[in-house]
Amino acid sequence: MAKPKNKYKVPVLDGKISIPKIVPGASAYEHMIEAQKDDMEALGFPFKLQDGWKDKALGVFKEILDHNKAVRDYMDICVRCGACTDKCQFFLGTADPNNMPVQRQELMRKVYRYYFTPSGFFKSLSNAQELTEEVLKEWYTYFWQCSECRRCSLYCPYGIDTAEITMAARQIMDSIGLGQKYTTEVIHKVFKTGNNIGIPPAALRNTLDDLEEEIEEEGGKGVKIPMDVEGAEVLLVPPSADFFAMPHMESLKGYAKVFHKAGISYTVSSYASEAGNFGKFIGSYQNTKEINKRIWDEARRLKVKRVIIGECGHAWRAAYMYSNTMNGPFDFLDSKYKQPTHICDFTLGLVKDGVIKLDPSANDDKVVTFHDSCNVARGSRIGDVVGGQFTIPRELIKAAANKFVELREGTTKESTYCCGAGGGLLTEEVMNVRLAGSMPRMQTVKEAVDNHGVNFYALICAICKTQFTKVFPLYGLDEEMVGGIHQLVSNAIIM
Amino acid sequence: MAPLNLTTAIYLLFTYTVGLIFVIAVVLRIYQYAVTPQPIKIMLTPAPLTKSGAFARVLGEVFFFKSLFKSNKATWVFGYLFHISFFLLIFMHFLRHFIYANPLPWWYNIFVGIGIVCGIVMVLSLFLLLMRRVVIERVKFISLFQDYLILILLMLIGLAGLSLNYVLTPAALTVVDNQLDPYMNGLLTFQFTNIPSNPVFLIHYTLVMLLILYIPFSKVMHFVGIFFSPTRNMADNPIEERYYRPNAKDLSI
Repeated sequence: MAKPKNKYKVPVLDGKISIPKIVPGASAYEHMIEAQKDDMEALGFPFKLQDGWKDKALGVFKEILDHNKAVRDYMDICVRCGACTDKCQFFLGTADPNNMPVQRQELMRKVYRYYFTPSGFFKSLSNAQELTEEVLKEWYTYFWQCSECRRCSLYCPYGIDTAEITMAARQIMDSIGLGQKYTTEVIHKVFKTGNNIGIPPAALRNTLDDLEEEIEEEGGKGVKIPMDVEGAEVLLVPPSADFFAMPHMESLKGYAKVFHKAGISYTVSSYASEAGNFGKFIGSYQNTKEINKRIWDEARRLKVKRVIIGECGHAWRAAYMYSNTMNGPFDFLDSKYKQPTHICDFTLGLVKDGVIKLDPSANDDKVVTFHDSCNVARGSRIGDVVGGQFTIPRELIKAAANKFVELREGTTKESTYCCGAGGGLLTEEVMNVRLAGSMPRMQTVKEAVDNHGVNFYALICAICKTQFTKVFPLYGLDEEMVGGIHQLVSNAIIM
Repeated sequence: MAPLNLTTAIYLLFTYTVGLIFVIAVVLRIYQYAVTPQPIKIMLTPAPLTKSGAFARVLGEVFFFKSLFKSNKATWVFGYLFHISFFLLIFMHFLRHFIYANPLPWWYNIFVGIGIVCGIVMVLSLFLLLMRRVVIERVKFISLFQDYLILILLMLIGLAGLSLNYVLTPAALTVVDNQLDPYMNGLLTFQFTNIPSNPVFLIHYTLVMLLILYIPFSKVMHFVGIFFSPTRNMADNPIEERYYRPNAKDLSI
């Protein structure tokens, strides 16, 4: 069998994250597959460009400017200081100047100037550009090479957030029929079956039965994964990958063992069987809200006291940051608890209270490192204190394993690099973009492996897990290294 | 009241027009930023948990360029030097109006000396900022006409201002100074007097007016926009305090 390695452009791992010389158009040929008719229509979007698309697009643009302070503000205030130019992993990986955050924004800003500012009058001088099909093509290429990780915003003197601009551009493109297959397909599946993967309730129950058996074989007697149980105390909403993908399933086993040992009744839901929220990736307020709503409807129907979200990055941001605004208030839940709670916060609390016991020596064969996922690190908080999203996962890892090392300084916590596949990029057709985007992170992983013998790469994001499982072998690393924090907990928990 | 010459009449009209456009355009812009709703919380975490903490974060950006310091030290140094000297100069121009009296206070020359140092620092830092745009490949690539325009305009203002001290004879400068004070007073009290007719001064004055006219329509509006940046000015408390903007619901997409 031919190695898949040859198909892809795999960056060289020399341990350096260097700033490349710009190569215009270097990734201009990496395109997403366009959305399908039934998916677009299910989301309330037209299919393919229709007559009058330009007016429609400008109408939506205007609507966003009038309803979104971030986009309104950020269109005007960039001074092109260049602070962001060397911060984006997609620029570092592809060398394409349109992947420099400021230049990605410029794709939209030049259209903004043409239609919404007086400088549109001095077209060529001020770089104002009419919205043409050519421009749309550029938008479709480069606004789908951004993972909305917000690393650029961290370094911007005004906090200009390219993710907001990318979302706005995707909103405009969707509204005129120019959608991306992967995200629209996934959202359509959520509406049809309750999860991103399209597992129907009966199949989900089967999977859970298999998992219960596996746990039992591994010595976890009587551990159950209940589904749709009314009156349980906790509604657990993991990303659907936790139900079927490896290594995600190992973490689900971990959650189940924690609930079992703590003696807290819980349930997963076949209706809200997905924590992920791809509506956010395409910047659609309506779709994000609808997807989020399933979780809280289900919490109400199942009469639970609290909602706990599994290991998933953007899902946590959507649940933590958007839920209360979009679907709140949650006065029907127990106000003693944070609604929602992150699974790491929940488990660490139980460990600290002595309700469950972990034996870190069970993971003595592992040297663990931790990758901060962007939506957790820069888009949300875990626990009660500032920076809890950094300390809580690390404390939990240290409680579950003895050997822990940090990745290279300056690439962790809020400065973390994206895995390269967030924001709706986790799809096969842009594998080269994903590889390029993963390059900075992989340099530091390789360094940790070589210098510290790291052999376990702990994550709390389903997309990160899938992405790294895919790219590790291409870089010549073992995909078995990739796993969730609750996989460590699962090994260490004393049953 | 002494009869006004034609130059003064033109400059009075010009000054008031520019002032009016600046105030109206900036106020409109502030209003627009203020009323546009932010549909959801998007602060970049880790973020302060309280509103006052978030405001302090914005002030940290305004006074110390904290994020820029994290991202690029050279740009921070050049940018910081420029902004500090620029603001000191604006402040001292206003202050001068209050301390310019007959006889001059003994420390007036020290005051002017500080101003000259600021002017030199400003022009030099602008030159370095301009060099960045020409020399560094990435920055050159992203630079637009308007980025060079504002740097060059500011440099010309600085050079013209410095020229008043270095090109003019002390006697000629005193003539300008003596005429400028009543002219400025006149702008506020409508007791108009003639504008200093020295060409170097008029160049300086004209360029400043052009700058003020250009500001509301340029990237210089970042001095307003930074206060409205949601990734910086929002508190991290979405669970503790429900953030809800009813008009965000109008977003149909």
